[in-house]
Amino acid sequence: MNVLQQVPRNALMWIIISLFALVAPHIGRLPIWVLAVYVIAVVWRLQVHRGRWSFPGRWVKVAMTTSGFVGIYASYGTLVGLEPTVALLLTAFALKFIELSQRKDAYVLLFLGYFICITEFLFSQDLLITLYSVINVLLVTTALVALHQPGLDQFNRGTMRLAGVMLLQAVPLMVVLFFVFPRFGPLWTVPIKSHAAKTGMSDFMKPGDVASLSQSDEVAFRVKFDGEIPEKSALYWRGLVFSRLEQDVWSGLGYYDVPLEEQRPDEVAISGQPLRYSVIMESTQQNWLYGLRYARARSPGVMHSSDFRMMSPAPLESEYLYRVESWTDVPVDLDLSDWRRKTETKLPPQGNNRTRELALELRESAGSDEAFVEQVLEKFNSEDYVYTLQPGRLTGSNPIDDFLFQARRGFCEHYASAFVFMMRAADVPARVVAGYQGGEINPLNKTVIVHQFDAHAWAEVWLENRGWVRVDPTSAVSPLRIEMGLEEAMASEGSFLAAAPLSPLRYRSIPLLNQLRLRYDALTYRWQSWVVGFDSEQQFDLLHTLFGEISTRVFATLLLGSWALVLVPVAISLFFKRDTYPVSPLDKYYRLFCDRMAELGLIRGPGETPGHFAQRAVEALPGFADELRRITGLYNDLAYAGVKDKDELAQFTRAVSRFRPDRRRGLLEEDTTL
Amino acid sequence: MWMSWDAERAPVDATQYDFDQRDTSLRGQLRRRFRGWLNRRVPPAREVTLDQRRIFILPSRTGVFFGCCLLVMLVAAINFENNLSYALTFLLATLFVVATLHTYANLSGLTIRAMRAQPAFPGQQTEFLVMVERSKQRDHYALYLKWSGSSETMVNLVDADRVKVQLHMQVDKRGWFRPGRLLLESTYPLGLLRCWTWIDLDLHALVYPRPIASAELPGLATDTPDGAAAMVMGNDDFYGFRDYRKGDSLRQVHWKGLAKGQSIQTKQYTAYADRSVWLDWELFPGMGVEQRLSHLCYWVLVFDERREEYGLRLPGVTIGPALGEKHREQVLKELALFGKGEAGR
Repeated sequence: MNVLQQVPRNALMWIIISLFALVAPHIGRLPIWVLAVYVIAVVWRLQVHRGRWSFPGRWVKVAMTTSGFVGIYASYGTLVGLEPTVALLLTAFALKFIELSQRKDAYVLLFLGYFICITEFLFSQDLLITLYSVINVLLVTTALVALHQPGLDQFNRGTMRLAGVMLLQAVPLMVVLFFVFPRFGPLWTVPIKSHAAKTGMSDFMKPGDVASLSQSDEVAFRVKFDGEIPEKSALYWRGLVFSRLEQDVWSGLGYYDVPLEEQRPDEVAISGQPLRYSVIMESTQQNWLYGLRYARARSPGVMHSSDFRMMSPAPLESEYLYRVESWTDVPVDLDLSDWRRKTETKLPPQGNNRTRELALELRESAGSDEAFVEQVLEKFNSEDYVYTLQPGRLTGSNPIDDFLFQARRGFCEHYASAFVFMMRAADVPARVVAGYQGGEINPLNKTVIVHQFDAHAWAEVWLENRGWVRVDPTSAVSPLRIEMGLEEAMASEGSFLAAAPLSPLRYRSIPLLNQLRLRYDALTYRWQSWVVGFDSEQQFDLLHTLFGEISTRVFATLLLGSWALVLVPVAISLFFKRDTYPVSPLDKYYRLFCDRMAELGLIRGPGETPGHFAQRAVEALPGFADELRRITGLYNDLAYAGVKDKDELAQFTRAVSRFRPDRRRGLLEEDTTL
Repeated sequence: MWMSWDAERAPVDATQYDFDQRDTSLRGQLRRRFRGWLNRRVPPAREVTLDQRRIFILPSRTGVFFGCCLLVMLVAAINFENNLSYALTFLLATLFVVATLHTYANLSGLTIRAMRAQPAFPGQQTEFLVMVERSKQRDHYALYLKWSGSSETMVNLVDADRVKVQLHMQVDKRGWFRPGRLLLESTYPLGLLRCWTWIDLDLHALVYPRPIASAELPGLATDTPDGAAAMVMGNDDFYGFRDYRKGDSLRQVHWKGLAKGQSIQTKQYTAYADRSVWLDWELFPGMGVEQRLSHLCYWVLVFDERREEYGLRLPGVTIGPALGEKHREQVLKELALFGKGEAGR
């Protein structure tokens, strides 16, 4: 083993620190035994370092690698997917550490460390995670530097300084590259998907689903309006449409449920100024996107369905930014196709018979569909219906009957579901719509923060000459919910975020905490819109506003200019260090003189006096005899008698500066003199 | 001649690049041209201060590997459309660029000075002593020094402004041994870039003839008047002490006495107090040059060991009988350089 290639103790310590720092943010996703592998690996390697144990043999290594694979497979049930792959990578990272003996092993290990930082970003690009990852990168870089400081046998914190300095020097160029590097779509589809369950809407709804979502204080998405933020009660973020009721579960229509000729959304005659806004969705692992009806996406790649939903072609694996235009007042679907009418009035053949009877009764007395809608809402409003997060379970075979006539306690999905059921029972086309309602307005940056507890379900009814009309039965029961939000609606019940006592949202009444929370959220928004959500469109806008017309010349200038701007100061800080031995101007110029002579092959030997050297030089280059003698004479005077006045020194420096010896001329004049 | 001031300085050896001159293949020619270019760019000198003319820098093998890792990261960033992965990839790529300056700065401003080359016998290791010195107040780490075929070493310049480096190298042929160009290399701080220089320190080790034992000197010339040629085998009878004089061999210093606190004294022996020997070229008639020199060399060592005075007579060289380390080295040097040209002396 080559001694010079060994890993210094200092580096070993830094590698161990990075090892644990890198695995830390993954802990929640890892089986516990992987952590045990880390501890064993570090203990083993330290014992090797102390000379007590030896490196694992080949068969031990094979056995460990195999059991790593088997263990991951046993823990996840698969080796495909993001989590198992990362777990494999992390296990390999620990095992590789055991056999770390030479520098080249350390390179592999540390570069793998950088890659592990990247895998963390695939799970979260949160601001805090990013700050933590910066520390990780610093640690890995420090270990890399420590690897090249032989002879440091003690743990040395100073190593971190250089790593930090280098990373800081790298930041400005990184920023330029980040904003300039072209963003294009994936080169190939990435097969691995995260299997982690996400809080959020699902593509079916049964009573109790939305209520349970209301226990979460996670952010669903953030919205930034180009102009004024509309009234909170108008913010119905439409995401899913449930047109089918089967076995008490509402679900949306699948792709193949819709006939081909019905798949294209109808032309909507738009008029007036639209609301313009951009939405940054948190990752949902689902396809649907939210918007205010009638919404049209401005971002490329967003699809629109025939029931006026927006969808992303791929499930949202990470934060996703899209821009929308909404015309909230235009009617949609003025002409209802036969298929659509049939679908939107369909009910299971039997069950909930009391509700059906009541619906037919009310429709008959109302006279028109519109009056019928009013009557049903009036019923919810006037009778003793309760809007609650704790409705109790309805287990009977006729849940809507049970709800309407007995329990009379329910959350939004109960009212929406009962309402649509009644509409359909009376042959009025209607459907359940799920999404979010309202949101918290952050006064700091004028964004609307929509939390999971803003989840809501309401109804759409098709009326002659008006098309699909939004009807929210919940507003008939609890107007406070729509105008103020869930917290106020549940104030008397005290059930708001009952399961999350530590949620900062519960302490909105404390101004300082609330201010901090909103400030952090504003920062998160900025982070998401500028860094996480930065895309080709933003890139184009940014470069266009900064540089106008975007050409290759602008690009090249930008890149080269930023390189110069960044690297020149770095070079200056590196090369303009103080001299170990400050040289007087006298010596400096004499050295310059010697250098000029050396170029001609006349090298002043160690211990050779200037006089001696000059004599030798005169013999070799008689043509310069006068100048050589003059310079040497001046130097000797100044050096031994001391520099008395500046003129003398200036005379000397001038003589040296002007002295441009040339071998040919030196010899030539010798020839002519002979 | 203007270069004759340096006793250690060897003549420009015409045979040094002999092999290259004969090699007319493309590789040989390329190598010759490269050497020529290198000689112009980094000319031989006793002392070299490294600047941009003398320092070469390229990504190391690790750097290439790191570049591949960066590509993988970039592909991951593109495929997952993950902006922070982009950011990290760019940060590391820029780190690579910044490291260029830091790696270069690790060699820049260093002064390498030839100190000494230990004379050696063929087959032995000669020791080259080189001084590495910094001119700016910055830390230099992991400076790797090696001549082709020599031992290797790695030094830091952190607490000291200069460090002496010893490098060992096996020698084989009598005469001046030229180690070629010294490689000074560093990959500090990240190992991604290799920064190096080849310097010709103009440092030469003297290689003595290989000593070959002969049973006895065929005709020993002494400077006693009777011209007796008998070999002096007298056991080194201890004669007495005298005060130490400058030039006395350290081996003869009476260390025990010195340790006891007495003044420094030299032990005297009868044998060399009385006789001295001439080691003469003509003592080995009918032998080849190298063989004669080898035998003479052997006897120099023998007499030096016995502490008997000896002189040397070679064609054109005469060194009077004397004793001591300096004398021995002078005699051995004459033997080493015999027939190798004038400038060696």
